[in-house]
Amino acid sequence: MSTLRVPLEGNLTYRGREGQWAYLLHRVTGLGTLLFLTVHILDTSTVYFFPSLYEHAIDLYRSTLFMLGEIALVFCVLYHGVNGLRVALFDLRPSWWTESRQRVSFWYVLGLSILLWLPAAFLMGRALVVHNFGGG
Amino acid sequence: MTTAPRAVARPRSFEALAWLFMRYSGILLVPLVWIHVLIQDVLVGVHAIDLDYVAMRWATLGWRVYDIALLAFTFAHGMNGLRNVLNDYARGRRLRRALDIALLLGWLVISAIGAVAIIGGVRAP
Repeated sequence: MSTLRVPLEGNLTYRGREGQWAYLLHRVTGLGTLLFLTVHILDTSTVYFFPSLYEHAIDLYRSTLFMLGEIALVFCVLYHGVNGLRVALFDLRPSWWTESRQRVSFWYVLGLSILLWLPAAFLMGRALVVHNFGGG
Repeated sequence: MTTAPRAVARPRSFEALAWLFMRYSGILLVPLVWIHVLIQDVLVGVHAIDLDYVAMRWATLGWRVYDIALLAFTFAHGMNGLRNVLNDYARGRRLRRALDIALLLGWLVISAIGAVAIIGGVRAP
């Protein structure tokens, strides 16, 4: 068991704590956004290449599963942007390069991302209930 | 301990330029992508989007220019980000070279498809 656990933990926690969570979340949100972006470029391109397919693609995006994915996507885009700005800002100010400042800044980034996401998630969630469950 | 600022030599290599591109395009993409997502996903919503809606939007030249900029900067930023991630895991020159070529081709082909669609516009089904 220990032979399995040590390398596994070694991979999951590189240096650990906020710095690594910020890095990992930046990577996951970036890759998730790129995956959607690739599909999105191709589905939008059907308006020129195969116009009759566009409505099918949009129908898929209107499904409950995809609308939930859309709400998650908005969080990805917000976090990736806010955290990217944090990284750029810290590069400009070497005096901020202390462990405590870097740690605290991750929580500010996460807090601001969630704050920006909540109103968007509310409006998109309401649209989901109205259109797919006839509520509101 | 604080680190004193110091001047470093800035190489003019491809990787240095790619790093600079990520930084500048990233700063540009924050307003560009957020405004796009706010309008299309949050305010308009996918239930109001169809062929007519896309045609109406692209009737304004400004939105076509906006969408071309979105396509160019988001996809280049994303594909270079993917290249950086893959370089963390792909060991060996030949594998990296193969991945670089695949990414370059994928980037060019999908960017071209998107650009043709935005320039060509909505066609009748």
